[in-house]
Amino acid sequence: MNAFFATIHTSFRRQLTYRAANLSGLFTNLMFGFFRAAVLIALYQEQTSVNGLSIRGAITYAGLTQSLIGVMSFFHWYDLMHTVYDGRVGADLLRPINYFSYWLGIDIGRAFGSLIIRGLPLFLVFSFFYNIILPESLIQWSLFALSIVFALLISFSWRFLVNLASFWTPNALGIGRFAFGLSWIFSGFYFPLALFPDWLANFCRLTPFGASLYFPIQVFIGNIRGAELLQGFLIQIFWIVTLVIFGHIILAQGVKKLVIQGG
Amino acid sequence: MRRNLSLLFRLLRIQIRSQLQYPASFVMEVLSQAMILGFFFAAFALTLSQFGDIGGWTLGEVALLWGLAEFSFGMMDMVFSGFDYDAFGPLVIKGTFDQLLLRPVNITLQVLGSRFVLRRLGKIIEGLIIFIIGLSLSNVDWTLGRILYIPVLILCQVLFFGSLFIFGATTTFWTKERLEILNVFTYGGSEIMSYPMHIFPRAIRLLFSFVVPAIFLSYFPMIYILDKPNPLNMPVFTSFLAPFIAISMFWLSLKFWRFGIKNYQSTGS
Amino acid sequence: MEAIIKADRLSKDYKIYKDHKGYLGALRNLFDRRFTLVHAVNDVSFKIYPGELIGYIGPNGAGKSTTIKMLTGLLVPTSGEVQVNGFVPWKDRKDYVKHIGAVFGQRTTLWWDLPVRDSLDLLKHIYEIPSDRFKQNLNSFREILELDSFMDTPVRSLSLGQRMRADLCAALLHDPKLIFLDEPTIGLDVVAKQRVREFIQFINAKRGTTILLTTHDTADIAKLCKRVMIIDHGKILYDGEFDELIKYYGGSRVLSVEFAEFYQYPTIDQAKIVQRDGVNVIYSFKRENISASKLIHQLSEKYRIRDLEVQDQAIEDVIRDIYENQLLYN
Ligand SMILES: Nc1ncnc2c1ncn2[C@@H]1O[C@H](COP(=O)(O)OP(=O)(O)OP(=O)(O)O)[C@@H](O)[C@H]1O
Ligand SMILES: [Mg+2]
Repeated sequence: MNAFFATIHTSFRRQLTYRAANLSGLFTNLMFGFFRAAVLIALYQEQTSVNGLSIRGAITYAGLTQSLIGVMSFFHWYDLMHTVYDGRVGADLLRPINYFSYWLGIDIGRAFGSLIIRGLPLFLVFSFFYNIILPESLIQWSLFALSIVFALLISFSWRFLVNLASFWTPNALGIGRFAFGLSWIFSGFYFPLALFPDWLANFCRLTPFGASLYFPIQVFIGNIRGAELLQGFLIQIFWIVTLVIFGHIILAQGVKKLVIQGG
Repeated sequence: MRRNLSLLFRLLRIQIRSQLQYPASFVMEVLSQAMILGFFFAAFALTLSQFGDIGGWTLGEVALLWGLAEFSFGMMDMVFSGFDYDAFGPLVIKGTFDQLLLRPVNITLQVLGSRFVLRRLGKIIEGLIIFIIGLSLSNVDWTLGRILYIPVLILCQVLFFGSLFIFGATTTFWTKERLEILNVFTYGGSEIMSYPMHIFPRAIRLLFSFVVPAIFLSYFPMIYILDKPNPLNMPVFTSFLAPFIAISMFWLSLKFWRFGIKNYQSTGS
Repeated sequence: MEAIIKADRLSKDYKIYKDHKGYLGALRNLFDRRFTLVHAVNDVSFKIYPGELIGYIGPNGAGKSTTIKMLTGLLVPTSGEVQVNGFVPWKDRKDYVKHIGAVFGQRTTLWWDLPVRDSLDLLKHIYEIPSDRFKQNLNSFREILELDSFMDTPVRSLSLGQRMRADLCAALLHDPKLIFLDEPTIGLDVVAKQRVREFIQFINAKRGTTILLTTHDTADIAKLCKRVMIIDHGKILYDGEFDELIKYYGGSRVLSVEFAEFYQYPTIDQAKIVQRDGVNVIYSFKRENISASKLIHQLSEKYRIRDLEVQDQAIEDVIRDIYENQLLYN
């Protein structure tokens, strides 16, 4: 357990040292937040609420997705793959810490660092420009925090799984591009899922992608309550369990393959 | 010139050959890219169907803007792959750029020939399909001028995006790493160009008119092609500035590129 | 004879930037950057004549690679003038590089994903090498460098030694008048090193190609170069014959003696006992003080000797001595 926290700590510190990169990423996400918000405002015009999503909610949605991109690192994460291709994976597998936990530790540190120097400042600045919605109670804040932690676990397990492809093929980048494309499509990243037809929105909600981006945002802007809220958390837990188990099974196969064929 | 071109094609042929080594997986990748990228438009279309129009423009009209920008960006991203600032920074750090400087061939041409990402065909196909959807959904009063202006516009947009890539690549001589902020103008620029630009706040519009003059390459020209009113009250000639803007931008970016190389040679990697 | 390389008071300064600390510091770095200057090459002058094979040596960070980058036109000097083969390297880049070749031991000129053969073929077009000339060169290099076993292997899967041989071949296909070799033997095993050295020698002797070579392996220099230049902290400390250098600074020699019987004090004037083990005694002495034959003569007059051996100090030790004790600084 100690090694796990040490990994988180180191990774967190490292993330904080990429100051220029984080600053430039912050500005970029902020600008994209402005673009998307402008489009949503143009769509809503005089209407105040569509499909239960208010214009304020929609704008908050735009700011929040951009704040969370860096934290969740949803669409671009090939770090593990690179270690497989340049051979560092050998040393990593020899560490006295579970390989999955090792990378999870790194990812938690990275995510936390990114949240502090990129996600939070971005949302703060964004909120100067727009009249956004904030959670109204401590309970809602806590539920949001919990949903974010779960979301990171889902997002990480998915990325871990995708990166494992590099144990089998020298061309896993292509697989990654496809897999991350899926998260792109189903997470509700482009436009709020609430604005989609119900059948599509409901489907997206069930996927690990909707569960890790759309759901936490819904909790934040408070348009999900009661049974639906519980259901959302259950879906998150389902995906965490499934992906973690699946990840470990695939990992075991991959390690076997790596040992037998020597990479 | 002849020699340079034949050399360029030789370099490109090598790239293409190696990328087509596994044709089946290549086709899969291109198609899936087209699908994934196309979903953004689909999501927009679904959303728009809840509202009807955006800033007075219909889905078909926006599709024309959108398809054009995607198609041109995809073309550019393929042709100017060597200047993709994501890839160019590492090239400089690893010293590969030094190796190019040691060869008796024009350096710009060598960078062009150093990378050619064929899978960008996915974006090109996607853009084309969206553009065709736009054509079928909107009622354009096709005159000869309007028809001829379309390929001109594509060329202009390719040059425009290309110049942004060249600017971006050049900055990595100083920064030695990719600067995400450049995405605001390249990918962000193409996103902005996919919408009727009067919907954006003034500050964003000014940024994309005077700093990165994207507005002259999609919105104003499309006003002419679609014969739409111009809520920004711009004179008519602004619809026809695209070639002038594109060529100037490209020329400027090449100047900056030269300047960057000069500077690189005096500071070292 | 006209010099092929003329460097006149050549200097290169690098700016080393220091970042401001903290998150706001990252912002501040954009506008206000602090730096210190490193004088990587400092007021260096030399001339090199056609057909020379020169060793350019010095400790890590001495300024060797920086000099080579200026000579190849990759870097513009901060001050001073350089002319190579009648060109100012960084000014007339395209015309200039047609006539030179360069190998940087740390990286390759070849295309990473291409088989060696295709890489070389591409160079044929890039340098516009006439077909017959290309074939001739390739055939002769293939033989000496023993390239045949990996001609169809992609560069990325070559071993270091194979890659270096391929790179050497690539640098010479267009019959350059002079070549720059920056650490061409780095990381190679004894056999590969030997092969590379033979090739360098062959090119220099048979084709009269001028060669400037940097290396950290003193044996390269001892085997190949008549003339060496030693650089440290950006200044040239020595420019002259290698043998002279060794003779002068490597003055101390070693005499190992096995006596026929045990002596309590087997001393002798002008030589120092450095090690002693029963009848085996090792003396060290200076060439300037006493010659080996005189020493042996004196010894054999005083003591009974069974066996003996005279050795020069190892060249590597001489060079290390020069670097460490800064013997060339006055
Ligand atoms: N691009 C650069 N920017 C800043 N400083 C540099 C740069 N390149 C080299 N230096 C510095 O200039 C000095 C000379 O470096 P150079 O690479 O020429 O040494 P070298 O003699 O080739 O060393 P080595 O034997 O280790 O290869 C060193 O202090 C080095 O740190
Ligand atoms: Mg060096």
